[in-house]
Amino acid sequence: MDDIERRAFMKGAAIGALAFSVGGVEVMLTPRQARAQNVPLKTLTADQAATLDAIGETLVPGAKEAGIVNFVDQQISIPPEQALIEARIMNVRPPYANFYRAALAAIDGASVAKYDSRGFAKLNAAEARDFVDLMRQNKLDSWKGPPPGFVYFLMRTDAVDVVYGTMDGYAHLGVPYQPHIAPTKSW
Amino acid sequence: MAANDKVDVVIVGAGASGSVFASVLSKAGKKVVLLESGPDWQLGDLISSDFWGRRLKPAGPPFLLEGKNPYGYVYQSGWGVGGAALHYFANFPRLMPNDFKVKSTYGKGLDWPIDYADIAPYWDKVADDIGVSGDAKAEEVWRPAGKPYPMPPMKTFPGGDVWKKAFDKLGMRLTPAAVGINSTEFKGRPACIHDGWCHVGCPIGALANPLVTYLGEARKAGAEVRPYATVTRVLTSADGGKVTGVEYYDAKKEKQVQEASVVVLAAWSAQNPRIMLNSAAGKHAGGLANASGLLGKYLTAHFASGTSALFDEDLQPYMGTIAAQYFSYDLYDKNAHKDKGAFGSTFMVAGTAQRYSALGGVANARLDLFGADLAAFMKRAAKGYTRLNAFAEEMPLLDNRIELASDKDEFGVPLGKIIHGFNDDAVALFNANFDKGLEIAKATGAKEVWSNKGPMPTIHLMGGTIMGKSAADSVVNSYGQTHEIANLWVAGPGIFPTSGAPNPTYTIFALSQRGAENLAKNWGSVAG
Repeated sequence: MDDIERRAFMKGAAIGALAFSVGGVEVMLTPRQARAQNVPLKTLTADQAATLDAIGETLVPGAKEAGIVNFVDQQISIPPEQALIEARIMNVRPPYANFYRAALAAIDGASVAKYDSRGFAKLNAAEARDFVDLMRQNKLDSWKGPPPGFVYFLMRTDAVDVVYGTMDGYAHLGVPYQPHIAPTKSW
Repeated sequence: MAANDKVDVVIVGAGASGSVFASVLSKAGKKVVLLESGPDWQLGDLISSDFWGRRLKPAGPPFLLEGKNPYGYVYQSGWGVGGAALHYFANFPRLMPNDFKVKSTYGKGLDWPIDYADIAPYWDKVADDIGVSGDAKAEEVWRPAGKPYPMPPMKTFPGGDVWKKAFDKLGMRLTPAAVGINSTEFKGRPACIHDGWCHVGCPIGALANPLVTYLGEARKAGAEVRPYATVTRVLTSADGGKVTGVEYYDAKKEKQVQEASVVVLAAWSAQNPRIMLNSAAGKHAGGLANASGLLGKYLTAHFASGTSALFDEDLQPYMGTIAAQYFSYDLYDKNAHKDKGAFGSTFMVAGTAQRYSALGGVANARLDLFGADLAAFMKRAAKGYTRLNAFAEEMPLLDNRIELASDKDEFGVPLGKIIHGFNDDAVALFNANFDKGLEIAKATGAKEVWSNKGPMPTIHLMGGTIMGKSAADSVVNSYGQTHEIANLWVAGPGIFPTSGAPNPTYTIFALSQRGAENLAKNWGSVAG
């Protein structure tokens, strides 16, 4: 890697941070910090963000506070070769934003059809749980978009990533993260 | 278009096989250039994180995935210097004697043109060169004797030991796994510290990735690595009798030509045939070295039947390596599950270190759970979860193949299309191994056991440029030299006619060492 690129990358990687744009300036924040600071979204609309927040929290409690929306928005706004989301690993063809737009539209569309014109973010907890359970099993009749089971898998992974895939997540589970080299060292 | 000074060897791909060829040939005094499509990763880039580890893989496949069981391309492949061997698990099992004459013995699959004994000295050499930890003597219950490994077995943890007790109870054999990871300091590289981050790259060099082994040696001997160099075609002479070099696009996306006396394609099982098909010209109208019509054919993948066990006790599942603590060839007979309609070998590994997110993480051990149920499971599994994996063999099928698609990439090269499906033998083997896994898991005394059954996974990728006796039945000979063009070579798992069941990289290293030594020895008659 280029030295300058590496330095920027390492600085962020050490603390689990990503490069967010705040007031035209690039700052390194964790998705949780980006959410807390209301960092503007680059790609997702407010409605899409609300749906992603709601389904993320239904899939993995804590995903909303952990910044799933800011994480996904940042990741689908950068060149695909820099992306760190599971969509990359699961053979989704870039640009990844296309997948998320289609998936979120499918979730809302199926929710509207099933629950009296209410989008997913408007469902109560029991309804959201039932909906996701059907989605997981590819059993939503009015679904129009990428296979619902695949959407369940990828969004569940995003939610797991932000809740359990971090050093905080390991600490929450009571297991040591034990990175090879301590973040404070020059690596 | 820019031209570069002619070199002795241009190697396409700086992963496992390309690194070995580069090491052997540069040490033999040849001028070697490696062209790698991705970044020039350094050890300091290998962050202990499942997020950052994804950067070591391609961003979107240059392949379209089709068939009954589409091939999981990206997870298996590498992007950048070191290739997939930068994020591999470093399990170092070898093939077994019954893998080499499958067609002759069973009437299924294909035969290799060589036998176990032809490769055995090279497995031993690789072990001595880059370091393998294990207990060779213990493995000899399944295979012919060979040299001892240079390092003792890795330390084990309760998450592996519970499986050892279960195997003992059932009268089955489970031995310390052979791994390409240092149990002790080896040739200046430190011993492993058992932190379980092997799969996102080992920055301390305890794991034998190419950066600290073959590629490091090659660079020291003068080999040049050009990152962000995407090869589009192999160039041929006017009469098609030899290759003259390759065409590639550099980091600035400018077209370049690198002439060479020998071209070695080491860009993995999928990309090598794509490049060869895209290089069709003159007498090679169907793709380079494709008189057999088998270029891109006989792709094989492994599949795994995973079995989970959950204990109340602390098994320290976060400790160890992503490679196995133990392995077993007890179900390696091709007919071990004949009573269930299955055919093919099974290779079992136990006690891998657990991570908690990402594809192989604990969260995916119960994909049906979400919400509060998942949160509760994660708490229980954090310290009490362990897994047994049974990897199994798919027979080579003509229909499993790579073709060029009509869509093109940014350089105008047709995308590849990987078409893959498992046959009934494989499906039966997949199911039979779940039954066996549950039987073993119950013998651990775990509080809960279950099968991780989902769609059949596709793991590793072999074939596509298979070796054989002649241009009538194969693309290359047993050294990787194409039958039709003496100075065009192919390296890597693509030359495997059958897959066996074990992880392939140890055999990739061994076959590459064998091929590169042969090339160096016969340089005068090979080089164009």
